[in-house]
Amino acid sequence: MTNFNIKEHLQACRSKEETFKALVTLSKNLPRLSEEEKTDENKVKGCESAVWLIEATMDGKRHFKADSDAKLMRGVLVALLSLVEGKTIAEIQAMDLKAELTELNLSSYLTSSRTNGVLSIIKKLTSC
Amino acid sequence: MTFDPLSIRSSFPILNQMAHGHSLAYLDNAATTQKPLCVLDAIQDYYRNTNANVHRGAHFLSVRATNQFEGARDTIARFINAPTQSHVIWTKGTTEAINMVTYGLEHLLEKNDEILITSLEHHANLVPWQQLASRTGAVLRILPLEANGQWKAECESYFTQKTRIFAATQVSNAIGVSTPLQTMLSLAKEQGAMTLVDGAQVVAHYPVDVETLDCDFYVFSGHKMYGPTGIGVLYGKIPALEALTPYQTGGEMVRKVSYQATEFNDLPYRLEAGTPNIEGAIGLAAACNFLTEQDRPALLAWEQSLATYTYKRLKSEKSIILYSPETNTTLVSLSVSNIHTMDLNAYLDSQGIGVRSGSHCAQPLMTELGIEGTLRASFACYNTIEEANRFCDVLIEAIDILGDE
Repeated sequence: MTNFNIKEHLQACRSKEETFKALVTLSKNLPRLSEEEKTDENKVKGCESAVWLIEATMDGKRHFKADSDAKLMRGVLVALLSLVEGKTIAEIQAMDLKAELTELNLSSYLTSSRTNGVLSIIKKLTSC
Repeated sequence: MTFDPLSIRSSFPILNQMAHGHSLAYLDNAATTQKPLCVLDAIQDYYRNTNANVHRGAHFLSVRATNQFEGARDTIARFINAPTQSHVIWTKGTTEAINMVTYGLEHLLEKNDEILITSLEHHANLVPWQQLASRTGAVLRILPLEANGQWKAECESYFTQKTRIFAATQVSNAIGVSTPLQTMLSLAKEQGAMTLVDGAQVVAHYPVDVETLDCDFYVFSGHKMYGPTGIGVLYGKIPALEALTPYQTGGEMVRKVSYQATEFNDLPYRLEAGTPNIEGAIGLAAACNFLTEQDRPALLAWEQSLATYTYKRLKSEKSIILYSPETNTTLVSLSVSNIHTMDLNAYLDSQGIGVRSGSHCAQPLMTELGIEGTLRASFACYNTIEEANRFCDVLIEAIDILGDE
């Protein structure tokens, strides 16, 4: 799915149920990590569902791999990574990822409650 | 069934609203219950007509506030069958009550003394004891109850001469089972241990009689029994409460203060530093009165019938694993093979159904069960069969949507 399609797919959602179903669909586009990659070091703290995030920088551009044991979180990761994949750290840091996710109808995943670790993921995406 | 939940629902206007385009079904009552109008009215009435600081003021409103506040203490004492109101200490809730005990008893513990708790505890009845053990060199031991709450033969050997404190929940918040409390309390008392019972999951459903239980401390929260948040109770036998070093000091709890020393006040005030949560106490008393005015056996039978009905409907679903018992519980706790409970929770939410997923502040228990967490639907007196059915239908729908890879 292209970035444009992801955006369109999520922005078309008119209810919590539609967003839920859209995330389930998106989740299928996330390549799963191997068990060896799911290390404690790669784990993002502060998520109630387990989330692993691996970053590699090549020629100054950041590339990400991620996984979660929860399907909706995998859908959110697809959306989130589509925003930052292949960008430089400076470009990522200049982005307002919270606002971008809100535009994608995902603002309910941005609460600071312990059930959602998206803010912790954003923190990790934007840290050097 | 003689009890009609629809008649009681009218006392809970919050339930009558839409959530994400569906009628709200509130099934997270083990986390907190909704509040009936009489509780809301009592709090508003306090601020509209009575508000003043208690105990010290010698004027019209202060006397009225003090009378209401101490009257509330008396209501609590009668609600749990405590002999006098001096046995009732106001706290912020169960967690603070347990912390008051763990700090207050610190001076009595020595290295290698044993603190015994069960394997079904909420973190609130685990972490404070663990921290107390690490401060004093005492040893925290875990009584290995079966996950269904049942007694194992080996359990008896955990109660020894070294057991100084025994603390146990009466009902597990995570999986809804009742613990063999009387057996455990007798064994603890035989060894001369002090005893604390966590009644947080009990007070909304079952009658509490601290005299019959004969424990040293009994703790619970107001917000889980139709009362306000931020108020709870530490009940104690007088010698047990006298043994507690006040963990907070300051105003209200003193009799005589000089720059050199302070003489503390008598119970219950000795353990209540600072201006108390007056409206919380009054609101909680209103919640007790609300419950007392109901046909409580009928309420309990209704809540249990909802849990049993839900259990029976879900029992035949192949992918569902149930952790709560089929009967004698007011909640259903489950997991689904290969589907994260948060995903199920999110779909239920999108359909207006409020439940809880996760470890329910009982991580060691979840580890023992070999799971990350459960999905929990917990019932209160105002829930209906329609809501139980919606929960089952939508859960099965969620499994269908989430199950296909």
